[in-house]
Amino acid sequence: MLAGVGVICFTGSYAVALALELSRLVFRSGIRGAFLLGWAAAGLVAHSAYLYHEALRVPGSPLSSTRDWYLVASWLLVVVYLYLTWCRPRVPFGLFVLPLVLGLIGVAVFLADASPNPRGPASTAWGVIHGVSILLATVAVLVGFVAGLMYMEQARRLKRKPATPRRLRLPSLEWLGRLNYRAIVLAAAALGVGVASGMVLVVRSREGRVPWSDPTIVSTWVALVWLVAAALVAAAYPPARTGRRVAHLTVASFVVLVAALGVGLLWKTQHGGRHVPFVPPPADCPDVRASEKGTVPLAAVGKVPAHGPAHGGPP
Amino acid sequence: MSVRMIGCSHRDAPIEVRERVALGHCQLTPALAAWQERFAAVEAVVLSTCNRVEFYLAADDAALPETDAVAAFLAAFHGLAPEEVLPHLRRKDGREAVSHLFRVAASLDSMVLGEAQILGQVKDAYERARQQDAVGPTLHGLFQAALRVARCVASQTELHQHRVSVPSVAVGEFARQIFDRFDDKNALVIGAGEMAEETVRYLREEGIRDLVVANRSAQRAETLAEHWNARAAPWNELARALAEADLVVSATGAGRPIVSAAEFSAVEAARAGRPLFILDLAVPRDFEPTIAQRPDVYLYSIDDLQSTCQTNRRHRDKELPKADRIVDAEVDRYLEESRHQTGGPIIRRLREVWQQPKEEELERLFRKLADLPEPARAEIRRSFDRLINKLLHPPLESLRNESRRGTSSALLEALAKLFQLKD
Repeated sequence: MLAGVGVICFTGSYAVALALELSRLVFRSGIRGAFLLGWAAAGLVAHSAYLYHEALRVPGSPLSSTRDWYLVASWLLVVVYLYLTWCRPRVPFGLFVLPLVLGLIGVAVFLADASPNPRGPASTAWGVIHGVSILLATVAVLVGFVAGLMYMEQARRLKRKPATPRRLRLPSLEWLGRLNYRAIVLAAAALGVGVASGMVLVVRSREGRVPWSDPTIVSTWVALVWLVAAALVAAAYPPARTGRRVAHLTVASFVVLVAALGVGLLWKTQHGGRHVPFVPPPADCPDVRASEKGTVPLAAVGKVPAHGPAHGGPP
Repeated sequence: MSVRMIGCSHRDAPIEVRERVALGHCQLTPALAAWQERFAAVEAVVLSTCNRVEFYLAADDAALPETDAVAAFLAAFHGLAPEEVLPHLRRKDGREAVSHLFRVAASLDSMVLGEAQILGQVKDAYERARQQDAVGPTLHGLFQAALRVARCVASQTELHQHRVSVPSVAVGEFARQIFDRFDDKNALVIGAGEMAEETVRYLREEGIRDLVVANRSAQRAETLAEHWNARAAPWNELARALAEADLVVSATGAGRPIVSAAEFSAVEAARAGRPLFILDLAVPRDFEPTIAQRPDVYLYSIDDLQSTCQTNRRHRDKELPKADRIVDAEVDRYLEESRHQTGGPIIRRLREVWQQPKEEELERLFRKLADLPEPARAEIRRSFDRLINKLLHPPLESLRNESRRGTSSALLEALAKLFQLKD
């Protein structure tokens, strides 16, 4: 039955939820909230079923390919959206979050590489840490971006001093500023862990050499430096974590993230994205059998790029 | 039992009259006691607010006091001449009285449509009368229904969601969009005017703890600070107080701005970019308008807020027809239930009275026809039941029709007399 669940199922649910969110701008309704949560939750269930089925079907999933990575990122973002909507049902978070979710799914379907990433490092604990940390960092940046946009819209409205719009309630600037700050700190920490675990993976591989010129590596480092600098500035200099400054920081972080992800999608790189195609080694290769048991990284036998990502996916 | 309302409100009586006949908090208990002494057979609830003094009464028609009796009672209580009170009192009976109470409780009759305090005042009036045993089953049911209707209107309309006073809009709608919580914020009140004080009340209600008052007259600042359990800041330390504040309420009588853009620049540096909400209620304004252009400064003048207040009033007005429909439906429902409760015992008794001869006749018949098989007995029993139902149908139908018109009491009385129905 799970095999029948396709990307279109959950994408459709999220699209309906977005349409319901948009209808807030047009009319009031007492039962819309329940429908909205219902459609988004139904989408999440279908999304989860799809990822679960993929995990059963393809070894290493749900982070076995760049495509999977985007789908998991969108899944995580929907979880955040449902949580926020549940806590503050009057706030139209979906207007800001669901387009990002649909965008991530769109990238997964139309742009991202669906071929499996090298599995070697992924089979280690470091690989899992690497993949999950980078995923968390990405989602944190996206949540921060949403909070930043909402902050700027709310500040603009308050400056304009019209009668309070009834149909588009946004959280207070203070709440949004706090969310922005936390998102930046979380993103910097998660990306730091992700990059560090990636380094460990490389060191543990046979080649043990970081391809510093690889576009994905370069863009990831740029993103890390930016996020760490932003988090440090915000932590050490209080004015930077209040008011619109922190909102600007998170929006800028999103731009850096999109650039980093774009590099992974558009450039030929050894790290996820359009990486050097994976050539399955002969079945009788003892190292391959060992690697399938999760003991020897494939990169170590030189059949796949030495810097293969933990669970694949950008950066 | 009939229901009557006699009283005056902002619609019928000027404030000078309302002030004279109003029953203060400590006067209500003795007033109700005096009422019970004089009108022992009449259930009564007295609702006295700054906008109305109303007596809700319930008793048999003959026992219900007339307007002049209530005027005399009020006048005697306040030591006035009855002629001073009588012309301002209005009387509403039956459906009108019920509808009036429902509208009052739902804040549809308030001076500020949708204001929230009236529901609490109606509840208090009812509770006080209940504690003094001035309420019987009729007013108990009526006030319970009124409170239910008020909640219904509040939940099904947006009447209460739109604030309409400048301070409440400023704090509840604008400051709330900037700050998530107020208990950790610092509020600075500049001036000691009435408007500033009212705003402080809202700020306190929202949870502001740290409150600073600055005024040219240090003594007035001290007085206001003492009243609101706040701190008074010397006028020459205004800049420092501004630098520390998260919210500023300014309402001085100064003839020119007390904070210029240049002066604010110096303060801004010390604020380290923290958002600042300034509510400038003064005319002419206390803060130079260009300060509003500074990032993270949200400056509102009284005009900015007035437009929101007017918009909110329009929103409330739009909700009025919906609220009226709810009240009308609830009045119908209440009256229907109340008639049902009044007529129910008589109808039940009427059925019982007819059942008794039926049973006697059946017993006599079955005794004579001892060999009658059980199916035949059952059929005869059903025939008798049908006969009684057919005989009772026309009078009960007439009673129902009269009930719908609200004039069933005479018919009920006639039925009780005709069939000798006793409790």
